[in-house]
Amino acid sequence: MSAQPLSSNDNDAPITPITPKEGAPASTRKLPPPEKPSDVRRRSHVILSFWLIVLILGLPIWWKTTTIYRADLPLQEMLEWADGKACRPVFPLRISIQATSLQDQEAQNLLRLTQHALDDLNDFAGHHLRLQLGDEKLDSADNGSALIIRLTPGEGTTATLDPYEPILDITYPPNTIPSPTASSSPLATYIASQLRTTFAEEQATISYLLSTNSMPSEHRPLGLSPETTESLAKRTTRSLKYAPTYHLTFSLFTSGPLPSSWNIEGAIDEYMKPVLEVLSPIHNFTIDTQVQLYASPGVQNQILNKEDLSSFINAAEWPLSPSIGGAPTINFIVFIGNQTIANPSQDSPTSQSWLIPQWGTVYLLSLPDDTTHVAAATLKQPLLTFTSHLLSLTGTPESGSLPLRLSTLARIRSADLLLRASSTLGSLARLAMALPSISIPSSVADGVTKTMSHLRLACDNLGGTEGLAHARIAEAEAERAFFEKSMVGQLYFPDEHKIAVYLPLLGPVAVPLVMGLINEIKAWRKRRRERAEKGAEKKEQ
Amino acid sequence: MRQLFSFVLLSLVSLSSFFVSASAAAADYHEQLVLRPLPLSALLASFNFRSNTSLSEFEAHNFRFFPRSLGQILQHAGTQELHLRFSLGRWDSESWGARPWDGAREGGTGVELWAWLQAATDEEADHKWLTLTNALSGLFCASLNFIDGTRTTRPVMSFQPEGDHLNTTAVDTHLLYGVLPHEVVCTENLTPFLKLLPCKGKAGIATLLDGHKLFDASWQSMAIDVRPICPAGGECVLQIELTIDMVLDIDRSKRPRDNPIPRPPPGHELPCNTSKPYHSHDTCFPTDHQANQDWTLSQIFGRTMKGTCPLTDPTVPPVCLQVPNSRSVYHSDGVLEKKNLDRVSRCFEIKPDVNFEIVLPTPDDESAVLVKPETPLLYAERSFTGHGQERGGVQTILRNPSPDTEVEFIYMESLPWFMRVYLHTMSARLQGQSAKDDALIKEVYYRPAVDRARGTQLEVRMRVPPASTVFLTYDFEKSILRYTEYPPDANRGFDVAAAVITILSPAAYNLRTTSLLCSLPTPDFSMPYNVIIFTSTAIALAFGGMFNILVRRFVAADEGPEVGLAVLKKRIKERVGALVEKIKKDKGQKIPYEARNKSGKANDSGVETEVIKE
Repeated sequence: MSAQPLSSNDNDAPITPITPKEGAPASTRKLPPPEKPSDVRRRSHVILSFWLIVLILGLPIWWKTTTIYRADLPLQEMLEWADGKACRPVFPLRISIQATSLQDQEAQNLLRLTQHALDDLNDFAGHHLRLQLGDEKLDSADNGSALIIRLTPGEGTTATLDPYEPILDITYPPNTIPSPTASSSPLATYIASQLRTTFAEEQATISYLLSTNSMPSEHRPLGLSPETTESLAKRTTRSLKYAPTYHLTFSLFTSGPLPSSWNIEGAIDEYMKPVLEVLSPIHNFTIDTQVQLYASPGVQNQILNKEDLSSFINAAEWPLSPSIGGAPTINFIVFIGNQTIANPSQDSPTSQSWLIPQWGTVYLLSLPDDTTHVAAATLKQPLLTFTSHLLSLTGTPESGSLPLRLSTLARIRSADLLLRASSTLGSLARLAMALPSISIPSSVADGVTKTMSHLRLACDNLGGTEGLAHARIAEAEAERAFFEKSMVGQLYFPDEHKIAVYLPLLGPVAVPLVMGLINEIKAWRKRRRERAEKGAEKKEQ
Repeated sequence: MRQLFSFVLLSLVSLSSFFVSASAAAADYHEQLVLRPLPLSALLASFNFRSNTSLSEFEAHNFRFFPRSLGQILQHAGTQELHLRFSLGRWDSESWGARPWDGAREGGTGVELWAWLQAATDEEADHKWLTLTNALSGLFCASLNFIDGTRTTRPVMSFQPEGDHLNTTAVDTHLLYGVLPHEVVCTENLTPFLKLLPCKGKAGIATLLDGHKLFDASWQSMAIDVRPICPAGGECVLQIELTIDMVLDIDRSKRPRDNPIPRPPPGHELPCNTSKPYHSHDTCFPTDHQANQDWTLSQIFGRTMKGTCPLTDPTVPPVCLQVPNSRSVYHSDGVLEKKNLDRVSRCFEIKPDVNFEIVLPTPDDESAVLVKPETPLLYAERSFTGHGQERGGVQTILRNPSPDTEVEFIYMESLPWFMRVYLHTMSARLQGQSAKDDALIKEVYYRPAVDRARGTQLEVRMRVPPASTVFLTYDFEKSILRYTEYPPDANRGFDVAAAVITILSPAAYNLRTTSLLCSLPTPDFSMPYNVIIFTSTAIALAFGGMFNILVRRFVAADEGPEVGLAVLKKRIKERVGALVEKIKKDKGQKIPYEARNKSGKANDSGVETEVIKE
């Protein structure tokens, strides 16, 4: 301070010495010499530059190094998907009518009337049946129609579903063809009601799926009876989550040392392969088999009650580990033993097998004690049971002909996947909003973008195979984004922890800085006031 | 003894190969238990289970004798040959002699895994290795998933494939070796092991396996070996061999399970060596070795053996006992005893559904109680040298007991990265000589460690002349780990895996040293907070001083504001007085709240003015 050369040629008015305030004790102390204005200015600069460094350099660096990366998520859109506002699932089903014996005009008329009848019957907008006149040469695969109605003149009005093709054969007496002016016709009503019966299960399943998800009420179909809902709920919980590939494990368990081999390969080829091939457009299957001896069941009773069935599988000892490839495993177990299942209704024959929801099937096979090898023919009944249970485990509908059931399965699965992916998106959005300290890496944002684009595509192509493929991708991406490891893997820092780290440094540093600033502001205000007073005095003079 | 073992092994191999070529379905499984009493009242029990499956069945995922759970893992990870070891304890070769199976079915303490994987590139092999270790970890309830890059090496000289790899080239087959010395093997590893057997633990020799006895053993090793075998002219088979070797302490095993605490026997029951000159009624020199050689199977294993596994090859006797033929052994009914021609072993053929029990009474002839243990080809001992927390050394003492044969072997170490080996200090010298002898080391393969990425791999091909002892030594530096790299029990030390010694000549033989415990410099774990607080205080002091010098005005002592105790007292008095006055005022007349507040404020500012700016 004394190093400062005395600036005598300072033209500023010398600062008046600090006058003691009123009420202060009359001081006998000397007053410090007046401070030079350059010193005052320099002090202000020092304080100002410290604060500038803190604000311009320190704060941004602190912010940059401690901030958690959160990629931008389209939260609003994600919630819209979850609420069902973004997509209104509509399954337009085209149905061709082949009526070669009818005139074109008559056929058009019948079609119009049937469509009217259908529209009157239908109460659910999401599931729409649209009729069209089909060319005989085209079959269902070519023109994309879900069902072909083949009208042939006959004795009475009958309807039969073709068991191998998606064709509904309807015969009609020739006199029931509606006249061009008729506004209603018994034949049209009959066709409409037949169609409705055929698709009743699919409609019920899809409306059940929609109702269990958070769809807005205007899209929600009404009129599902409690019994239907219950049976649908049962069936949905029974079926496995959709996966492109399922792993089938066939196990032979026996409580003793025999039999120790079985011709399972031959039996599968003969009794199960045909169905697996039919299912191949929707699912792939991998198969393995094993023989396990000395496997005692979890229940030792001779007659198995309903309660025993759930504990029959000895999970602790039986090596039924799921496959490690990522595909869900369906277990089919043949247990060699003469146990029987107690049937609540005594009149029906005792059953041999039971289905474990989302897991597989157990079949009790009783064999003579000295059997060492189980032949393929012996395995026929078990494998046929497994096949039918496989269909219900994959969620295939129960009624209708097989091709219709499979095409329905594809539609139900795409709706299911679509809803699942949407609800995953919603959960992710809610999670991101609920936890502000969770990091959101860019891969999650990518996943969300991909999910939404595929969801959009799936929504536009619902009912077709393309829709299923897109829904599958969307669901996989959504799951991947939701279960991103780096989101949950971050360390948890409690607030006490942060205080313990920050306070020892920031406390002692901040106190002089803040006090310096406060004093400086006070001194500056005082100087201003004094200057103003002096100015007033000068004016008075 | 080793010849005997190899004889048994050979006969088994020839038998099995015969059956494979004769009829694929007849005998794809067999099991055998070999019991061999050892000196110092120990008993070696070797369980061996072997099953075959044809490669075509394996690839079609049809599992019969081969466990499905393991088969899936092998297929998923592209594994061609797999060796997994769970070991505990130390084989006392000084008194027990050569190791069972010539040391081929044992590992170092903890878990050891090596496998030949089929992969086009090293990265792919690493990826498959990761899959394999993680899957095996789940299957065997072991921490195998901790075998990461730092614990994995690719041995160059030490391991050779046991199976026949026909249609694969050396380029796309990768050998990876991982070891977890810290893993404690226990019952949870035995249960999945038993599940892999076709007869589980329900019939045959596996009924004797009990976790209480197995893990009470002085030494035990569980091994799983999977290898493809291609007999000449026959179809290739995949063979899985499960082996459990354990050395039981007969004394300890005979203790009742409900009263396992050892108590000193009363004086008159002590087995004393009466040949000592000082033996008297109050002085006892305990007898060694020959004592306690009477036992029964149910005493040793806690239960009798329940029949035979019906799947097993009937031509292989399920139980063999290696005691001199002159010794009498009693057995239960329905058992056929067959003494072998070598005069030191006998086998028992057991009917199915017969509870098998053997009784070895106290021998009459003291000289023919045991088969004399065979001298191993090499003795090896490894220990740490040096002191302090910064540097250390490793010394391995290798002793060749043979009077006339030189032993050549490969010594392999896979050391953790935090032991930084100084390779230039590695030297081998003969006992009795101070200078190092370069002729002892023939070849060295060394792959240095990379911090936090991979460990040191050291393979040394060396020889030990007949009847001599070689000291192999090297020094290393201990590195300081990062705060988060220390395990919770850091002061216990860090396990260093056993060294693997593969003897090339005169015969194939394997042995492993014990694992070591390396203590690293371990910090006080409240250190980070201490550091934060110390540095923060220093910075705050420096900053505060500098800042004050820059912004304060310095005046003479009598020019500044008054400071001291008197000033403080006066100020406090003033404040208290003002407060008391205010309260009196409040009581006297009801002043609205705001006004009171204002007056308070005014009062406050009045006092504030006395705090003179410095």
